[in-house]
Amino acid sequence: MTQVATLQDPFEEVAPPRGRSGGAAWAVWLSRRIGLAVLSLWLVSVLVFLATVALGDPVRAILGRDYNSNPGRVAQLEAQLNADQGIVSRYFSWLGGLLTGDPGTSLANQQPVWGQISANVVNTLVLVFLSAIVMIPLAFGIAMISAHYRRRRPDTVIQTVLLALAGVPEFVIGILLVATFSTTVFHIFPAVTIATPTGHPWDTPKGMVLPVLTLVIAVTPYVSRIVRATLLEVLDSDYVELARLKGIPEPVVMRKHALLNAIVPAIQVIGLQLAWLAGGVVLVETLFAYPGVGRQLVDSVRNHDVPMVQALAMIIAAFYIVVNLVADILSILMTPRARTAISG
Amino acid sequence: MNQPRNSHVGFSRRQLLKYSGLGAAAVASSSFLAACGGDDGGSGGGGATGPQKSGGTLIHGATGGGSKDTLDPHAPVTAADIARVNNLYEPLLFWNNNYELEPALAESVESSADAKTWTIKMRQGVTFHNGQPVTADDAWKSIQRVADPGKPLSGGGQLSTIIDFQSTKVVDDATLELVLLTPYAILDSLLAEYTVGIIPGGEFDPANPIGTGAFAYKSFEPGKTSTFTKYADYWGDAAFVDELQIQDFADDNAKVNALQAGQIQTLDNLPYNLVDTIKSSGGGVLIADAGAWVPFTMRVDTAPFNDVKVRQAMRLIVDRQAMIDQTLSGYGSLGNDLYAPFDVNYASDLPQREQDIDQAKSLLASAGQDGLQVELFTGDGIGSVAVPAANLFAEQAKAAGVEVKVTKKTEFYDDDYLSYPFAQDFWNTRNYIPQAVVGTFPPDLGGTYNETHWDNQQHRDLVNQAATELDEAKRKDLLHQAQQIEYDEGGLIIWGFRQQVDGYGANVQGLEPSKYLPLGNYKFNKVSI
Repeated sequence: MTQVATLQDPFEEVAPPRGRSGGAAWAVWLSRRIGLAVLSLWLVSVLVFLATVALGDPVRAILGRDYNSNPGRVAQLEAQLNADQGIVSRYFSWLGGLLTGDPGTSLANQQPVWGQISANVVNTLVLVFLSAIVMIPLAFGIAMISAHYRRRRPDTVIQTVLLALAGVPEFVIGILLVATFSTTVFHIFPAVTIATPTGHPWDTPKGMVLPVLTLVIAVTPYVSRIVRATLLEVLDSDYVELARLKGIPEPVVMRKHALLNAIVPAIQVIGLQLAWLAGGVVLVETLFAYPGVGRQLVDSVRNHDVPMVQALAMIIAAFYIVVNLVADILSILMTPRARTAISG
Repeated sequence: MNQPRNSHVGFSRRQLLKYSGLGAAAVASSSFLAACGGDDGGSGGGGATGPQKSGGTLIHGATGGGSKDTLDPHAPVTAADIARVNNLYEPLLFWNNNYELEPALAESVESSADAKTWTIKMRQGVTFHNGQPVTADDAWKSIQRVADPGKPLSGGGQLSTIIDFQSTKVVDDATLELVLLTPYAILDSLLAEYTVGIIPGGEFDPANPIGTGAFAYKSFEPGKTSTFTKYADYWGDAAFVDELQIQDFADDNAKVNALQAGQIQTLDNLPYNLVDTIKSSGGGVLIADAGAWVPFTMRVDTAPFNDVKVRQAMRLIVDRQAMIDQTLSGYGSLGNDLYAPFDVNYASDLPQREQDIDQAKSLLASAGQDGLQVELFTGDGIGSVAVPAANLFAEQAKAAGVEVKVTKKTEFYDDDYLSYPFAQDFWNTRNYIPQAVVGTFPPDLGGTYNETHWDNQQHRDLVNQAATELDEAKRKDLLHQAQQIEYDEGGLIIWGFRQQVDGYGANVQGLEPSKYLPLGNYKFNKVSI
């Protein structure tokens, strides 16, 4: 979770186009960004495909020690994988399927891939969304309190706690929460998600509490620390000093002058954290038996279910790219300097 | 040849155990926490007393499961599938908790004097979940689906090679006359496997699976959950609970947490290190003798193991109790280099082989193999027990001056499988004859997984003769001779059999240990909450 270091500058390559109306300039800028996103996604598709091909013979892996004794099954699986075709034509038929919304058929159970992963994609998005709406206000609140008491005792305590939490792996937090709230100490919340047969995990709202809380605790320290650092920088700036000299009360200075300017870096870090949550929380999903994409990806890798792995990897990559695109657009919109640079 | 079926079972269980390694730290810390807060725990035995109550929903936590899950009665893959199949469908006979045959959908299965024609009498008054009566025709069509010679399903490998599909006939609604190509005295044991369930017309409809079991299908989502309702017209003991839900768990820790939090009532394949966690929170632990084994396999046609003295020495090197204590946490029973411990014809009178380093050394010396060096192939694909057992064996062999180099392969079951001079493998329990065929006969005679390249005409004749012998005393004698040969000269080192450990909540009643399948053969109709 050190993506903070790789934050890209949303302002680069924002050369002011000349002689166009603001709307047209925006359209050009946006289409260029979307074009880049599509290009990235295409590169990811090549990488995903090559990586899954390089894993070795999936048929052998699936059949294990039955490989030599069951030639019928070998032939069937090889036919399904188009193993006789060249790698290039296999790639394009797969890509064509993806683009037309048909990512293929699972090797493990012969069901269409999309039918199996769509529910899990929604489950993961809900989990990420709920975590986000709890995490964002919480992170900002903590950061503001911390900045307010800068380098005094409350700030030191908060920063120490945040650093400690940031250092604990998320599944350990999850285990502690489960032991505390559902198995060993109290019995308040369910320990795992037991999906109702026809419904969704959130049909049991209590069951969502611990997974969401785990993710919130895992992500909040990073966002909060970034926001605090930016806030401190802003609070030291000349224009905040000027506002104070003009007699504006400190809470208003914090809210109107400092916070709004600290939002942009926060958007970037939140975007990256949310993208990480969507694909990287396998251990949390496993711990709570939450039916999300991370766990499904692990299951598919274990089954050597190549079409499922490819589809899930593409969805996670697409989520990363979309979230970052949205974060960039929001950053631009929130930054007058960049906004005017585009619309000329 | 119902081997592929069983190998899948073993695989899935092991993969789960293996997968739990991902959360090994998680498991460890959770046990630690439980130990700290354990003083609020109950008696530790678990299980309510008094008469069993009706009603409620039983939620079973199945180990593993995933997108591979299926409801196909004849091709279950994961542990969750096996739990489902055993409640939805039923074969003609059952293996009971003591691994003995009992009538189920058939009232009787009787052989002619030459063991070639078998008469199956159907139980009367049994209905499918859709209300239709079960007939001999349904049974025959189901068997044909399992044993299709073109593509036999899990339970049908051996059946497909011995059934005479032309001559077999349905006599009337209640009678099936099964004709075999060759005499086979233990056909009834093949018909008792849970992979030979009877379905209407032998047709499996994934959208609406129908069987005769104590629970009828309601819903199914692969890798997630499935639900079943009590079948009120069940011919046997109707279920206590109104509904059964089977929930997949990819992670052992999640499974155990769910039991502790009261979200599930039963779970199978409890990891040994979590037994105390369950006990301390008031739950119960069901321990059953089971027959799963992970042997060392020595190729009898390759140096140095082509010398019988070397094989005998290697068998004397193993400290069997230490193997069980260290790789199975003590949950195992001693092996005597013989398989099929539950077979009535198991040669239990042969003396238990024990570690004897001096004897091993002198055998090696007389074989001219002092300071023997061998390479032992292993891999995680065999199961979680295999690699620790291999390392322990290497340690034990040092005492006899044998240097064992353990080579852990990432893909154990590759082209080299069945060619390794010295390796391991995994098996689940079955009776002696089918195991001997699949594991010790040459490949063209049915030995699909003959790791040791054992090729002994005398042994083979004894097994084949026993397979056609209807006189039980004579069969016992023949099989005893066959086992004596393997005991003296065989290439397998069978050091122990794993016990089955399952968990259940404090309010659960009616579970009994079984030698055949976890949780009392998954017969949830006997369980009340």
